[in-house]
Amino acid sequence: MHELYLAESIIDIIQNYAARDGFKKVNSVSLSYGRLSCIEAKSLQFAFDVQAKGTTAEGAALEFKILPAMIHCFSCEKDLEVKMLPGDCPSCGGNEVVLTAGTEELQILELDVD
Amino acid sequence: MKVKVVKKVLDANDRIAEENRKLFDQHKIFVINLMSSPGAGKTSLVEQTIKAIKNKYKIAVIEGDIQDTYDADRIAKLKIPVVQINTGGACHIDGNMIREALPSFDLNKIDLLIVENVGNLVCPAEFKIGENIKVMLLSTPEGADKPAKYPLMFQESAALLINKMDLISYVDFDLKKARHDSLSLNKKLKIFEVSCKTAAGLEAWIAWLTQRIDEFKK
Ligand SMILES: Nc1nc2c(ncn2[C@@H]2O[C@H](COP(=O)(O)OP(=O)(O)O)[C@@H](O)[C@H]2O)c(=O)[nH]1
Ligand SMILES: [Mg+2]
Ligand SMILES: [Zn+2]
Ligand SMILES: [Zn+2]
Repeated sequence: MHELYLAESIIDIIQNYAARDGFKKVNSVSLSYGRLSCIEAKSLQFAFDVQAKGTTAEGAALEFKILPAMIHCFSCEKDLEVKMLPGDCPSCGGNEVVLTAGTEELQILELDVD
Repeated sequence: MKVKVVKKVLDANDRIAEENRKLFDQHKIFVINLMSSPGAGKTSLVEQTIKAIKNKYKIAVIEGDIQDTYDADRIAKLKIPVVQINTGGACHIDGNMIREALPSFDLNKIDLLIVENVGNLVCPAEFKIGENIKVMLLSTPEGADKPAKYPLMFQESAALLINKMDLISYVDFDLKKARHDSLSLNKKLKIFEVSCKTAAGLEAWIAWLTQRIDEFKK
């Protein structure tokens, strides 16, 4: 919902690295987030394109690595990938599960620069 | 050429939140970041909590509601220092908004600061503000599918108040599912069933909160 804020933060981080490393152009930015973390990749790219105009980051493509949502089941002790938090374990039907991954926040992993 | 970064996009906010936290620690201020959807009962809970413990602690409130000063007026009636943050239509409160609000208070005269966040189940959970605990409300008319749909806030919160229990028989709220899914997200989550209208169930919340504050103050 706050794509503009995130886009600005990404650009600030890129500019800090540009000042440090002296690169002039960013081809792509690789980012990651958990699949349940409510991030809108398309809106973020749009906000980024608008905000990046005139900066080192202008024209860079955002590449997203979406981390899977996982649960652990305390009955069968399996770790399973899920689309959404299930009420019961999809494997054994046991009803004590815990979400162990999927809400990771947005991170910048690396930049591809010239 | 590749440049390795590995940095949270919200890193700058995290650092401001840490600075706020240091300031709160210096003044021994316990801070609650209170979150929910619009209308779930945040302001009502703030009012009830103030009434219950204002003789024990010096309380202050920061209001982050977007509409107007209506919520701040409700708190000011209870003779509690309150600052309305102008979020400028933002969907959450961030660390900097809190930092900018603090000069309006005398920090030496606060034991408990309650921050009522913007009504939204998504963003507020992502932004640290320097709080000791996040507390969230889910009201029975909203439905029990919310934990599965908005997992982060449930994971981040220390306590969940299921509010508007007085309405449960009218709104078909699946209490068992709400509790079960919330705990599947956060095993340590403390759950209270309350009504901020009738005050039913609030003693348990107040007892738990009081204990948390006293432990912090020690
Ligand atoms: N029936 C009922 N109404 C409530 C309860 N708590 C709050 N309300 C009402 O719900 C509406 C929204 O409450 P408010 O505290 O302003 O919610 P906020 O937007 O989260 O701050 C108001 O009309 C309150 O009177 C409750 O436990 N039961
Ligand atoms: Mg309110
Ligand atoms: Zn299982
Ligand atoms: Zn937001």
